[in-house]
Amino acid sequence: MSPIDCEHVLQQIELYLDGELEVSLRVEVHQHLSGCNGCLDHSAFQQRLKELLRATCGCNDVPAHVMERIHAMLADHPEPLHPA
Amino acid sequence: MERALGGVPRVAVATFGHTGTVSRSATAPPEDPALKERFERDAMPLLPSLYSAALRLTRNPADADDLVQEAYLRAFRGFSGFEEGTNLKAWMYRILTNTFINSYRKKQREPVTVHDDDIADWYLYDKLGVAGAEASAESEVLDKIPDEEVQRALEALPEGFRMAVLLADVEGFSYKEIAEILEIPIGTVMSRLHRGRKALQKALWETVRERGLVTD
Repeated sequence: MSPIDCEHVLQQIELYLDGELEVSLRVEVHQHLSGCNGCLDHSAFQQRLKELLRATCGCNDVPAHVMERIHAMLADHPEPLHPA
Repeated sequence: MERALGGVPRVAVATFGHTGTVSRSATAPPEDPALKERFERDAMPLLPSLYSAALRLTRNPADADDLVQEAYLRAFRGFSGFEEGTNLKAWMYRILTNTFINSYRKKQREPVTVHDDDIADWYLYDKLGVAGAEASAESEVLDKIPDEEVQRALEALPEGFRMAVLLADVEGFSYKEIAEILEIPIGTVMSRLHRGRKALQKALWETVRERGLVTD
């Protein structure tokens, strides 16, 4: 099988970084990246974008009143209810 | 190995703070005080991530407060239907997104549809490259963008794109899990992610330019 070219690799980067490529294609992309600085830069950039989102958008502090109200809700009910 | 997210409570009759009794069906499973303990142990640690998601979905703290509380109430009420050992985080996110879609979306003003046909796949990378950043410096420019601006760029995405990007990139769910949480086909997940990420890159580029993080 001929190795995949840059265009094909760049098309697959999103799935590759999302961990969604099937194994044989994943290996091919991985091998291509280890020998192609251009594609590796693209891949690193896309990965950095993912990390940026994870680091900035998922870690807001929960306000104390929200925490208190949820705990109060749990305290009001001895166990989960079973609505009809 | 993975299972579909069954047993998600879809309709909450009572609102948060409701103190009346709720009738129980004759066929309800036996009450189990250990359920509450398990809910506190397993569901409460997910609150910071669900609260952050609620902020990204509603785009305002007051609605996020209400949304996450209502989602937790629904989750608690339906917890007997959750099968232990399956994916609790995905189950909680499905309740959160369902609650948002059914109760809060109506109040939201949606951004206009993104016309993304003209956004290239590597929009931001290409723009930063043209702006003279060295190869590795392109990633460093990203680090200079203030957190609030990244949050704003995500929140500005149309809802379908925003939920897909949030679930994949912020929360790390797989395509299959996202498909189950949002009840859409995997192909739609992929398309929303791709288009959402492109639109996000365009918004981030505007931020980079407005803040003078590159000289173009």
